[in-house]
Amino acid sequence: MTTDTVIEIRALRKVFRDFWRRPTVVAVDNLNLTVHRGEVFGLLGPNGSGKSTTIKMLLGLLYPTSGEINLLGAAPTDTAVKARIGYLPELSHLHPFLTPRETLGYYASLFGIPSREAKRRTEQLLRMVDLEAAADRPVGMFSKGMARRVGLAQALINRPELLILDEPTSGLDPIGTREVKDLIRLLAKGGVSILTTSHLLADTEDICDRVAILDRGVLQSEGKIADLLRQPDAVRFQIAGLDEAAAAELRRKLESETGRLVKQDYPALSLESYFLQVVSKGRRADVERFELAPFLLEREEPPHA
Amino acid sequence: MNSAVQLFPIARTTWLEAIQQPVAFLMAFVSVAITLLVPVFEFHHFGEEGRLARDSGLSCLLLFGLVLAIGTAGRSVAGEIESGTAAAVIGKPVSRFTFVLAKWLGGFGVVAFYAVAQIAALLIAERSSAHFVAEGDYVGDVTDWWGVALGIGGLLLSLAIGAWAHYRWRWRFGVTVFVSLTVSQLAAAALTQVTNHWVAMDFRAVPAALLVLAALAVFSSLATALATRLKSGATFAFCFAVLLLGLSGDALFGDAAAFSWRGLLSGVLPDLQNFWMCDAIAHGGRIGWRYLAEATATALTTCAVFLCLGGWLFSHRDLG
Repeated sequence: MTTDTVIEIRALRKVFRDFWRRPTVVAVDNLNLTVHRGEVFGLLGPNGSGKSTTIKMLLGLLYPTSGEINLLGAAPTDTAVKARIGYLPELSHLHPFLTPRETLGYYASLFGIPSREAKRRTEQLLRMVDLEAAADRPVGMFSKGMARRVGLAQALINRPELLILDEPTSGLDPIGTREVKDLIRLLAKGGVSILTTSHLLADTEDICDRVAILDRGVLQSEGKIADLLRQPDAVRFQIAGLDEAAAAELRRKLESETGRLVKQDYPALSLESYFLQVVSKGRRADVERFELAPFLLEREEPPHA
Repeated sequence: MNSAVQLFPIARTTWLEAIQQPVAFLMAFVSVAITLLVPVFEFHHFGEEGRLARDSGLSCLLLFGLVLAIGTAGRSVAGEIESGTAAAVIGKPVSRFTFVLAKWLGGFGVVAFYAVAQIAALLIAERSSAHFVAEGDYVGDVTDWWGVALGIGGLLLSLAIGAWAHYRWRWRFGVTVFVSLTVSQLAAAALTQVTNHWVAMDFRAVPAALLVLAALAVFSSLATALATRLKSGATFAFCFAVLLLGLSGDALFGDAAAFSWRGLLSGVLPDLQNFWMCDAIAHGGRIGWRYLAEATATALTTCAVFLCLGGWLFSHRDLG
């Protein structure tokens, strides 16, 4: 494992067994993966493909049947390594009677963060995930999206080097989804390595540098998104300010010149971009100005252990 | 990461979550209410003034404490494993042994807090029970209705405080009532010093109650260990089987040869008769502090064994 590698998985296999130790399902089979420092890596796949099982093995929650996992240079069960990781589970799993402020304080105490520093980080994270107004209401009263924001904040309380996000945008509205995607990009820019899973392919495409696609526990494809999605046998031109008649003329010329069929279309906004434009006009102007909690940018001291 | 630093927050959260549950508050409330009502419906002395109240109070402590201890362990360990909350904590730099130990501390904390209220109610009930009095012109049995009223009043006041604090400051109802219940019973017990001048408070029941509390610590640790692998129903069944065998161990296995299956069972099962000393304090009897210390040491050793077993069981299971 090089210093540039944060996760290295070799020949990983997980077989779930019943009460009598008989194998019931092979959740992950012969998985090999490497995640590099500072990259956003997406683990994709349909339901039951082994994404969450892989993440749970990375966190030492599930024990592999065979194979090897190296996480920041150590085994996943090493608690010292876990101090350098942030984890957002698929469901937020929060104590319903605690408020967001108490929840963040609780998780900060599990990392041994001193009380004053924990308070500072808590306030910054509450501001970042836009929960200041609801900071003293029990989490049990929250919508799924709000609980997700608390979950995301707790995953960042220790200023992690490696962030593992299981379905980070699940349950969020388009604004929340956009904010989380912005946050992931900003964290990656700040040097945090991120492993994320998602069913939402458009979200993954927006944020990930590389992806791996799993199906029935087996790695089907892996690589940079740009490389995987590139269609080498086609070229697209985009010309601004061309009227319809000139565009038709240009198409005819290209067809006669190349002898091939030329497809002409008009670029459109994605529905997400259009929705955000409309909503940000009427509701919040800060959708586009999402900012990291300041403590996440402080790199003069080593990440808290 | 210092595990000792992590113990307190996990235990505190477990304690808070447990006393949030309506069943915890109901258990404590019903147990204290039954104990306080014994002097009202006392038709027999059992050969000793106040004995019915004392024995009932200790029985309630054992029975309700057991349900509370096992229920809390089941919910906070098996329930959290099932819901995924345990995985969220173990995903942090928390060792599995630390988690099990903290869950036991939090769960036993609930039982201990309830026990304080129950012991205070027991002392009130025993003192308020009908006692023979020959004072001035009066000769006959006297029940201290003021003492009963103070205890019941404290019980109702704790409900009112819980409701008011929730309305006024949004404090958690369950937590406020649970804490006020204990404080109100202690205050009521202290006030009976002023209202009742003809019967002194009999503290002989306190060591007996502490022995029951030690037994509850053992059951709390056993339930915590079992809940790392079993669901709540199975944990309840197993613990009650151990209770029955533990109480009847002497009769069942007392004559067993050391190297036999019965002998092995006799050695493994906690001998709960050592913690049930109602008869020892009857008719003026006392429990020595030395005995109390030895029984507590035995209980803590048993707890350590069960918690090590629980930690080992939890360390070897998948959390998915």
